[in-house]
Amino acid sequence: MPSPANTGLASTPPDGGWGWAVLFGAFVSIGFSYAFPKAIAIFFKEIQAFFGTSYSEIAWVSSIMLATTYGGGPISSILVNRFGSRPVVIFGGLLCGIGMVSASFCTSIMQLYICVGLISGFGLALNLQPSVIIIGKYFLKRRPLANGLAMAGSPVMLCTLAPLNQFLFDNFGWRGSFLILGAILLNCCVAGALFRPIGPATGPIQKEANKEGKETAKEEEEDKDCCAKFNQYLDCSLFKHRGFLIYLVGNVLMFLGFFAPIVFLAPYAKHIGIDEYSAAFLLSILAIVDMFARPATGLIANSKWVRPKIQYFFSFSIAFNGACHLLCPLASDYTGLIIYSVFFGLAFGMVCAMLFETLMDLVGATRFTSAVGLVTIAECCTILLGPPIGGTLIDTFGDYKYMFIKCGAVMVLAGTFLFIMNYYNYRMLAKEEKAMATKDPEHGRTVNEGSNDWDREKIQDGQELEPLTDEQGLKKEINGLSEA
Amino acid sequence: MRGCGSGTRALRLPLLLLSLAAMCLSEDALSGPTTTTQSTSQQTQNILNNTPTEHNVSTPGQAITTQGVHQETRESFSENTSGGHDRSTDGPRYTTQQTNLTWMAYNISIPGFSSPLIEKNITLDSPANIELSCTVASVSTHAVAIEKTWKKDTKTIESNVTSNETKNVWSTQYKLQIREKKDMGSYMCVMKGEQEVQAVFHLKVPKIKGKEKPIVSYEGDSVVMVCESGNYIPITWIWYTINGSHQVPINDSLMPEKYIIDKTPANKTHLKIMKLTGQDGGLYVCQAVFKLGENNGEVNLKVLNYMVPLKPFFAIAAEVIVLVALIFLYEIYSKKKEMLAEGEKEFEQIEQLKSEESNGVENSSTRHRKV
Repeated sequence: MPSPANTGLASTPPDGGWGWAVLFGAFVSIGFSYAFPKAIAIFFKEIQAFFGTSYSEIAWVSSIMLATTYGGGPISSILVNRFGSRPVVIFGGLLCGIGMVSASFCTSIMQLYICVGLISGFGLALNLQPSVIIIGKYFLKRRPLANGLAMAGSPVMLCTLAPLNQFLFDNFGWRGSFLILGAILLNCCVAGALFRPIGPATGPIQKEANKEGKETAKEEEEDKDCCAKFNQYLDCSLFKHRGFLIYLVGNVLMFLGFFAPIVFLAPYAKHIGIDEYSAAFLLSILAIVDMFARPATGLIANSKWVRPKIQYFFSFSIAFNGACHLLCPLASDYTGLIIYSVFFGLAFGMVCAMLFETLMDLVGATRFTSAVGLVTIAECCTILLGPPIGGTLIDTFGDYKYMFIKCGAVMVLAGTFLFIMNYYNYRMLAKEEKAMATKDPEHGRTVNEGSNDWDREKIQDGQELEPLTDEQGLKKEINGLSEA
Repeated sequence: MRGCGSGTRALRLPLLLLSLAAMCLSEDALSGPTTTTQSTSQQTQNILNNTPTEHNVSTPGQAITTQGVHQETRESFSENTSGGHDRSTDGPRYTTQQTNLTWMAYNISIPGFSSPLIEKNITLDSPANIELSCTVASVSTHAVAIEKTWKKDTKTIESNVTSNETKNVWSTQYKLQIREKKDMGSYMCVMKGEQEVQAVFHLKVPKIKGKEKPIVSYEGDSVVMVCESGNYIPITWIWYTINGSHQVPINDSLMPEKYIIDKTPANKTHLKIMKLTGQDGGLYVCQAVFKLGENNGEVNLKVLNYMVPLKPFFAIAAEVIVLVALIFLYEIYSKKKEMLAEGEKEFEQIEQLKSEESNGVENSSTRHRKV
């Protein structure tokens, strides 16, 4: 059964043209998804005084939002597989707006959890996944660069939203700010409008073919059981995919130590005696370096030397990140912390820019839709566990250095694991490629990918026989009908 | 404070013996000890009771200083700069009261004779015993006669002149017992020899943190305003609203559905105002009352109409709708163009085929004719 996501590969990714507009939309969408939960923390102190709660109860709003954004991944993937990126993102933008507008009328902290945490969080989940997916559909040759540029949306949005939120709060209070932020989040719908669906050529003949295909599909659908139907929308066979499993284990491990240092950087600076504004400035340095590191990493990852071995580059950047954290306790004054922030921003940007690119590289653009959903829900747990574990370490030992050592060690371990496992994976892929080439020399050329540079990409998709045969089936139908 | 008492007794005995020994040793010394003790007591009184000639010292001050002597014995009296005499002999003449306050020492070290006036702020929230001292850092080797004066808010409270001594005498101390609001203020030490140095201690009640930026709320909504006093705990908090030029205290028991004042924890106060109206806006003052005085914090409240944020909301929503419409229109337009272009191409192709066919037919027909 051909689903819209599978037919994405039938057409050539344009690597430009309307793709740049799509990239801009993804930039905005991804930026809101990552930056909004962090930027909203500016309102917490006032809301805490208003509802008379403790700070940890308020911080749950951000945690619930982040958890929903990551946990809603599989649902987002299913919806994209069914309807395509555009409707999902527009619906997500509407959901975010509704969530924030209703939050401005909240009268209890529980209502705030639901409106801001659940509703807006789910809206952001419906924004994040489709944006990342559609980049894979519009870019192939320049995909790492496109990924790097799109992921740069997160620090840019954070740097924009933080002062904007402060300005809104000073002029409109927290209720008015939530109302206006609801309107600002509606801009995700604009981003969604830019996500023009790309697939096989949409002429009248093709539409008829689709209709016919759907009719036959409906007949067969009733015969299938619900497991196979579910598999159609969320490809669970990915769990047998070697590359996917390597990525999953490595990333789940990495996220345990990824976010905690950012959360505790400012408190650590205050702890060693730096004043509040200078501590906040450290985070700004981090965001600015991050902003430039992401596109730069995308550019480097796109080069012909790095792209074939992009997994090694990814593992290196994770290990580099871990090394930064391990060296942080040596920084005992403000200058040392500034140096740490610069290197941390660099490493953080490198990892984030390649986060989804490496997954696309491993599973291919067809199965990426389902893969990203499964990966985000697995990462959801460790992301939420990371900062509390760090906090417990700090409280137990009364010293921040153990938290940094834990984060650094976890990330170096994850980087090494990914490096070794990907070396093994590359070797296995090379072996399989040789075996394929000797068996069926025609096989690799049936997929029309345009550029011939990325043989590995094709061969990897070649391993996934199911979608390809479906594509070929659809093509035959179209050709057959046109001849008639 | 057991150590205090035992220390007194411990010092009493040897000093008594000393004075007795001095009496035995010389005839001249007969008057000596008595005079010394008398002068000591006078000195002590001078120091502690503020200038005997100027009876501008409040009587409670005097009464309190007597207690102070008792507690002084805990400190080392070797550095008595005023008279070089021990003051501890007068222990038994004073009654013990309030021995549970510790002495806190504050020192200003003046770096040089030409340095600018140094000021030090001391924050006190409850009664305390303070020892203030001023010292000039650079040591002058030659001994001069120095006039040492202590002033409270420009009034001189103590003044004496040191005799010629070889050691560094550019330092002075003053002991204070702060019990009331009147005791707070600015205390200045002045040392005048060939040059003059000054330093000021400001004794103040703790500062109250309100809010610098105005709090924004909406009509019909409720708002919570917070004031904090930090590590100091006031006796009570009072909220005022500013009506014109004078302060009107807020009584939450009179209007419980409008105002709620929450005073826990002790170093914070919350004023919750419900059912806000436009008139509720303005400046609110939270006053923390300490035993040693009061201090105010300010919170500014702005009450807005719901229409105020709705305008930017609708503006942004309109912008979103316009942009989405533009994007969809552009897409439809470019698709139409594409289809037209395709249609034209197909038309051209069909034309070409037709012309080829007709050429072919003609050729065959000519061939036929030729045959």
